Amino acid sequence: MPTLTAFIRSLLIATVIGLVGAGLFIYSGLYPIGADVPHNKLSYWLLETLRERSIARAASDIQIPSNLNTSDRLLAGGADYNDMCTSCHLKPGKNESDFTIGLYPSPPNLTATADAHGHEHGSDTGSEEIAIQRQFWIIKHGIKASGMPAWGPTHSDDRIWNMVAFLQRLPSLTPDQYQILTARGNTSDSHDH
Amino acid sequence: MKRKLLSPVLVLAALGVTFSAQAHDPKEHMKDAENPNCAAMKDMDHSKMDMNDPVMQAMMKQCMKDMHHSDGDYSMSHEDASEDGQKKASDEQHSEHQH
Repeated sequence: MPTLTAFIRSLLIATVIGLVGAGLFIYSGLYPIGADVPHNKLSYWLLETLRERSIARAASDIQIPSNLNTSDRLLAGGADYNDMCTSCHLKPGKNESDFTIGLYPSPPNLTATADAHGHEHGSDTGSEEIAIQRQFWIIKHGIKASGMPAWGPTHSDDRIWNMVAFLQRLPSLTPDQYQILTARGNTSDSHDH
Repeated sequence: MKRKLLSPVLVLAALGVTFSAQAHDPKEHMKDAENPNCAAMKDMDHSKMDMNDPVMQAMMKQCMKDMHHSDGDYSMSHEDASEDGQKKASDEQHSEHQH
């Protein structure tokens, strides 16, 4: 029994020392917080796991509209994507921007397929449905300390679903198709007579 | 005096919060809105165009006015055309876009 008591005491002492050490490290200001210095592997894993698990749990109950793949949704979502998202998430024909270079973590290139840019998008489970739920949740709620804002407070769910619908087709669009789909103007530039 | 000033300040502050919480209106973007470059559709590979594809239908909707100025340039799916009540029949899917 004295052995168990000694073990618990040692465990408590180690825990206290660990917490005090972590606190001192945080307050020392030694951790490089600049966006131009990547996280170490441990911090990266902790933050990414925290993010992915939180999104997976929160997005799992989201109901996907049955009419997601319609031309009206593509037009509405495309115009909003072009106005709100391209500076970070790019558009066909563009490979980088000041934001993709300067932000850390770098925002995913949504013109590429999930496999192409190595971002999971819920595809770790191989489920397209999970990827769609995930996209809706992220657009609506944003992600803390990542540069991704929450659009939910200022945009209706239907408007966010339009953007999600557009994202499903974005990787397959050519620059010309993208331009036509996202243009808000209602007169064509093609009249050259 | 201070109390008299306080009310309008509070009202203005509340209005500021209210307005800042409103959704950005698509009309805000209309000033700088690009027009669809429908001429680019001429150069697309029409043999690969699927008129039942929502992307194609969306492009047709964007370029509807343009298409109505040309004869026999494009055809639309029956489904999409009936949706807008603006069916444009054409036997040839991709003749030259001429005015």
